Amino acid sequence: MSADMNSERLKSPAVVQVERTFPRFTVGQRWEHWLLFLSVTALLLTGLPQKYRAAAWSLQILSTPSRVNLVRQIHHISAIVLLLVVVYHLARNLYLLLRKQLPASIFPNSQDFRNAWQMIKYLLFLSRDKPLYGKYNFEQKFTYWFLFLTIGVMGITGLVNWFPVQVTRILPGAVIPAARLAHSTEAIVIAIFVLIWHVYHVHIERLNLSIFTGRLGEDEMRKHHTLEYERLLEGNNISPPEEEAELDVQ
Amino acid sequence: MFNNLKVIQIPVGLFISLVAILLVLFPGVLASPPEQDTSPTPQAGQESETGAAGDLSIGDDVCLECHGQPGTTMQLENGDTLDLFVPPEAHQSSVHGELGYACVQCHTDVGEYPHPEFIAQDLRDVTLQLNRTCQRCHQAQFDLTKDSVHAAALEAGNREAAVCSDCHTAHDVRRLIDPETRELLPDAHAWIPQTCARCHSEIYNKYLDSVHGSALLEEGNQDVPTCIDCHGVHNIEDPTTAEFRLNSPQMCAECHTEPKIMDKYGISTQVLDTYVADFHGTSVVLFEQKTPDADINKPVCFDCHGVHDIASADDPQKGLQVRQNLLVRCQACHPDATENFPDSWMSHYIPSLEKNPLVYFVDLFYKIIIPVVVGGMGVLVVMDAGRAGFNRYRARKSEEPSETDTEPPGEEIISGSDTLASDQDAVEAGDG
Repeated sequence: MSADMNSERLKSPAVVQVERTFPRFTVGQRWEHWLLFLSVTALLLTGLPQKYRAAAWSLQILSTPSRVNLVRQIHHISAIVLLLVVVYHLARNLYLLLRKQLPASIFPNSQDFRNAWQMIKYLLFLSRDKPLYGKYNFEQKFTYWFLFLTIGVMGITGLVNWFPVQVTRILPGAVIPAARLAHSTEAIVIAIFVLIWHVYHVHIERLNLSIFTGRLGEDEMRKHHTLEYERLLEGNNISPPEEEAELDVQ
Repeated sequence: MFNNLKVIQIPVGLFISLVAILLVLFPGVLASPPEQDTSPTPQAGQESETGAAGDLSIGDDVCLECHGQPGTTMQLENGDTLDLFVPPEAHQSSVHGELGYACVQCHTDVGEYPHPEFIAQDLRDVTLQLNRTCQRCHQAQFDLTKDSVHAAALEAGNREAAVCSDCHTAHDVRRLIDPETRELLPDAHAWIPQTCARCHSEIYNKYLDSVHGSALLEEGNQDVPTCIDCHGVHNIEDPTTAEFRLNSPQMCAECHTEPKIMDKYGISTQVLDTYVADFHGTSVVLFEQKTPDADINKPVCFDCHGVHDIASADDPQKGLQVRQNLLVRCQACHPDATENFPDSWMSHYIPSLEKNPLVYFVDLFYKIIIPVVVGGMGVLVVMDAGRAGFNRYRARKSEEPSETDTEPPGEEIISGSDTLASDQDAVEAGDG
C-alpha cells in the first residue's frame, strides 16, 4: 500500500508534497551545540600540538616560546567558553528538571538496554527488526552521557593542570601528573569518539542536521523516533497530513 | 736530554713526510675544523709563522747562563719588576722539556745577544705579548680560544682574562694528555679545577663541596666531571647565555645516560628521558632544537640540582629527596607553592605501583579503556554500515528483476529489512 503511494509520489511531480517538521531543539540548545562544537574544536586544535610536542607538525606550530604562550591562551579562553556552556547547561536543565518542566527523556532507562540488545541482534542478522525509539535513541543518549562524562573529566583535570599550586594546597601533589596524563589521554578519547561515533551517526549513517535547524522532518520522525512521533500524534490529538504542528517536545 | 732530542727527531721527520703524503692524498683534511686533539707540529708551525725556526745551535745552557741565576730582573715602564729567572728544573720537568724542546724554539727572537729591544708596560703586558708564542705549535688550540668567553672578555678590555700561560703556565707546562690513548692523564683530572680556581676560587669552593668535586679531590674518582667536561676546554663558552642553558640537559646527559658510568653508583640512566617526558623538559629539549637562543622560563637540570654545588639526591642538607629542599627549588618559579606541590614532579621515576601509583593507574585505565572504546565503537560502526549496505544491496537486487517482471518491488524491501518502513505503513494505513 505504501509502496503504491511512494511510487505515485515519485511518478507524479505535479503533487506538491509539503513535509511537516517537528521542533526538536530550542534556539538555546542549538546555541549550546554551536558553542560546544567551536570550543571543543579549538581545544583539540590547540591541545593536540601540546600533547604531541615532539612531532614535526607540532614543532612547526609551537616553534617559539611566544607561540606556545599564544596557543595556551587560546586553549584557556576556549576552556572558559566551554566551562560557561557546561555551567549554563547544568544550571538551566537542573532547574527545569526540578520544576518538572523538562521531560527526563535524556536519562537512560532499562528500555535503552533492551533497545541496544535488539540493535545488536539486528546488526548480527539475528533479527529483522530495528528497535523503535522515543525522542532520543540509545545511541544519542550514549553520545550525550559519554560527552557529559568526558567533558567533566577534561574540565576537572584541565583546571587541576591550570592551577597546580592552588590544587596542591588541598590535594596531594601526585594528582597533578595524574591529571596531566588523564587530560592528555582523555583528549584522544574525545577526538576518536567524535570522529568515529558522532560523525558516523549524524553524517554517514544519515545526515541529521536537526541540531542546526532545530527541526526534524516528519519522515525522519516517523522512521527514527517512531514512538515519539506516535506519542505526539496521539497525545496531542493531531492528525498527520493537516496543519503545521508547533509542539514543544522538550 | 739531547739524546732524547735525536731519538725524537727521526720519527718527527717521518711524521712530517707521512702528513705531507696524507695531505696530498686527502686534501679535505685541511678544511676540517680545528680539533682539541691536534698534535703539536712545531717545525711546520715555526716555519709558517715566523719564516725561520729558532736557531737550534743555541743550547739551553747558553740561556741559562743568565736566566738560570735567581735575581735576574728587568724594570718595566710602569715600574713593575719582571723576574727573568727561569728555574732550569721547571722547564726540564715540563712536557716541553721532556720532549727536548729548547728555549729558543719558543723564544725565537731572542737567540742573539744582546737581545732585541722588548717593551712592555707592565707584567700583564708581558704575558699578553708573549701569548703569541704558543700558536706557532698549537695553532688549533689557539684558534679555539678565540671563540672563548675569555677571548671575548679580553677583547672587551679585561686584561685579566685568561690566556694560554695563565692556565698552562709559561715554563712548567704539564703534560695533560696520555700520548697513547689521547685521554686525560689520571692526575690531570684534579689539576683542572685547581687551575680554574686561580681565578674562579669561589666557584671552586662550591665545586669542592659538590658530589662531583668531593669525589674527585677526596677519592680521586675519575668518572666525575671536572670544569672542562661541562664548560669545554679552549673554546669555553659563556655559560650565562640562553643557548648554554637550553643545551645543558644534553651536557649532563652525556654521563648520566651512560650505563657504564652510572651503574657503578646505582644512579638511574633514565633521568633525561623522564625529564623530557615531563612538559618542563619537553619544552627545553624542543626549543633547544628549534630556537636555541630562546629565553625560556622552564627549569633545566642545574635549576634544581644546583650549578656547581650539585649534591647527591640523598644528601641530608641539600639532597632533593628531602622534600623541603625540593620545595625551595620549586618556589624559585612557583613562589606560592606549598608542602604538597613538589610531589607533582615525579622525581625522574617512571610511574609504577611503588612510585607514583596514581599516575600508573590512570595510565593502566586508559590502556584498557581506549582499545575497548575505540574497538567497540569501530566494531559497531562497521556492523551498522555493513547491515545498511546489505539492506541496500537486497533492495537493489529485488529491484533489478522488477524492471522485467511485473511484480512491484515494494513488498521485498519491507519484508527484507526495513521494519521502519512497515511502521510507516501502519501509520499511513491507519490514517488513510
